[in-house]
Amino acid sequence: MNQEQMIQAVVKEVMASMGKAAAPTDGGVTQAQYPLGEKIPEKVFTPTGKNLNELTLDKVIKGEVTAEDVRISPQTLEMQAQVAESVKRDALAENMRRAAELIAVPDERLLEIYNALRPYRSSKEELYAIADELKGYGADKCAGFVREAADVYAARGRLKRD
Amino acid sequence: MKSKRFEVLAQRPVNQDGYVQEWPEVGLITMNSPFDPKPSIKIENGRVTELDGKKRADFDMLDTFIADHAINLDYAEEAMAIDSLEFARMLCDINVPRDEIVKYTTAMTPAKVTDILNKMNVLEMMMALTKMRPRLFPSNQAHVTNVKDQPVQIAADAAEAALRGFDELETTVGIVRYAPFNAMALMVGAQVGRPGILTQCAVEEATELLLGMRGFTAYAETVSVYGTEPVFIDGDDTPWSKSFLASCYASRGLKMRFTSGTGSEVQMGYAEGKSMLYLEARCQYVTKGAGVQGTQNGSVSCVGVPAAFPSGIRAILAENVIGAMLDMEVASSNDQTFTHSDLRRVARSLMQFVPGTDFLCSGYSAVPNYDNMFAGSNWDAEDYDDWNVIQRDLKIDGGLKPVSEEEVVAARNRAARVMQALFKELGLPEITDEEVEAATYAHGSKDMPDRTVVEDLKAAQGLLERKITGIDMVKALYRAGFEDVADSLFKITLQHVTGDYLHTSAILDKDFNVLSAVNCPNAYTGPMTGYVISDARWEEIKNIPKAVDPDSIK
Repeated sequence: MNQEQMIQAVVKEVMASMGKAAAPTDGGVTQAQYPLGEKIPEKVFTPTGKNLNELTLDKVIKGEVTAEDVRISPQTLEMQAQVAESVKRDALAENMRRAAELIAVPDERLLEIYNALRPYRSSKEELYAIADELKGYGADKCAGFVREAADVYAARGRLKRD
Repeated sequence: MKSKRFEVLAQRPVNQDGYVQEWPEVGLITMNSPFDPKPSIKIENGRVTELDGKKRADFDMLDTFIADHAINLDYAEEAMAIDSLEFARMLCDINVPRDEIVKYTTAMTPAKVTDILNKMNVLEMMMALTKMRPRLFPSNQAHVTNVKDQPVQIAADAAEAALRGFDELETTVGIVRYAPFNAMALMVGAQVGRPGILTQCAVEEATELLLGMRGFTAYAETVSVYGTEPVFIDGDDTPWSKSFLASCYASRGLKMRFTSGTGSEVQMGYAEGKSMLYLEARCQYVTKGAGVQGTQNGSVSCVGVPAAFPSGIRAILAENVIGAMLDMEVASSNDQTFTHSDLRRVARSLMQFVPGTDFLCSGYSAVPNYDNMFAGSNWDAEDYDDWNVIQRDLKIDGGLKPVSEEEVVAARNRAARVMQALFKELGLPEITDEEVEAATYAHGSKDMPDRTVVEDLKAAQGLLERKITGIDMVKALYRAGFEDVADSLFKITLQHVTGDYLHTSAILDKDFNVLSAVNCPNAYTGPMTGYVISDARWEEIKNIPKAVDPDSIK
């Protein structure tokens, strides 16, 4: 296993565990639990496993809470998606679910993928490769979305011109 | 002989403005164009095969995106079957609840929604807007910029704007590389004025996202979408890239909205012979389809285009109504300067001011016109008292409140001192006592001393290179002895953990409670329902400092 394969395997492992945790244990949330930070803080965790109640200014000063900790987790975004659905905002929920998949993608890579999706930047093959890469992160919805974009770009002549 | 009357009229500000006659064939028409597509939809096997008279084989990029992402097909045929005039009447009828309207508007096509608005006058649209606004109560946003990109002044102006009642503040840059300084100054200054203010920095898309990721901003708005494919491409994006960008923001727990406006397609040369409102309707269906919670619309920086044509200001109101009909947060422009006439600029803003929108201005210039780097605003710092008096005259809530000189001076001074200490802690070029003093009492950048630009730009870029984050700013503020400001900044970053403010029309109050269309939904069903100005708020609005106490005259 080369290094790249190893990283991919590790990422898959992490994503699989995230996916498991994302499943609501008690039938999900609705607008009744909103705002989550106020109504059910005990259920809001960071991707680093810290509970919302542990995130205090005091701990920031002591260095016990870092920039890595103040990020949203896939589970929290899933709960927010359920809140959105409970008030009939399905498109917003769908966006939140795509976003939940992207949490594990590093900042720099996310910016690169966004730029690759801009017109005339990528070939169809390059966009399909990005879709595969996203699948490696467990980002199936986003992978499908990128593939859909590639097909539309091909049909409309918006792919990279050699 | 020349008429003296006409001589006088020719000198009036309104005659300094430009006006153009309609030319519908090329898209030089705001609404009611005979060349707009006729509304239609055909669905086969759960897939749209015809949209507004066009077969799928002829779809451009926007048609495809709208057909596949933006229309709730469950109710589409039902919605399209409702007569447009009947629907227009439902829209402004207090007896038809908002939910009932949204069920159908989110299942319509852009041509259908345009056809409905074409049948309404501005009074009816204002009724519709007051009912359809997603959040219970209106709010306001300000621009805080200056021609020198002076960070101390930005912080002081932000503190004052926050104190005056704006819930969101937006900055941008003269020189792009200043962005980290401007964003930081805005965020810090805003928290000094009133904890919980959300801030943004309008720059190129990828840079704007980076600033958000690093915790220099709390939300984003300058994510533009356009109503024709060639203009979208000229804007260097597609509906898919912009949607992906929207998901990127949400993945970092960052609030955002898209921006669009009538006239942008004409301005960029590809209107495809369609009315400005129809093209704007397409923009907003793209926004809806992307799953974005809100839209900044109302022509925005293209306001000069629709304003030059008949029914242009009506079209701008119609845009705002479409956003609310699609159940999205609406930041309703009232920003860029479009006229020399004070009468015209007030008439234009009353369309939103009276019914109330999620953000009346996006934004109101919290600085003098010469310092507004968004090409000037329809409302400037010089107009603060006018705005307050209009609120008082009409008993409407425009989001602002009268303030005393003492409290403004104190807030500006503290913001400037916080910046001085923060710069020292982060090893940035010195902020002198002279600058603090100037920012405390300044009206604009003409009152501010110059800084060393080269040194500042290097240090501003250094913040990004050193990978300084919001958490670093929190620590630095704490070390500098401004624990309350550190705490406020930290509580803003906690929003990126809970994501509560990602929901439609969300703002934060001074105790960091999230107020959005989820927990504060609009419930207007006629007089004395929905948002009614409270006694406390009315006291605040009516007690302008200039008002004389009758007791003192007796």
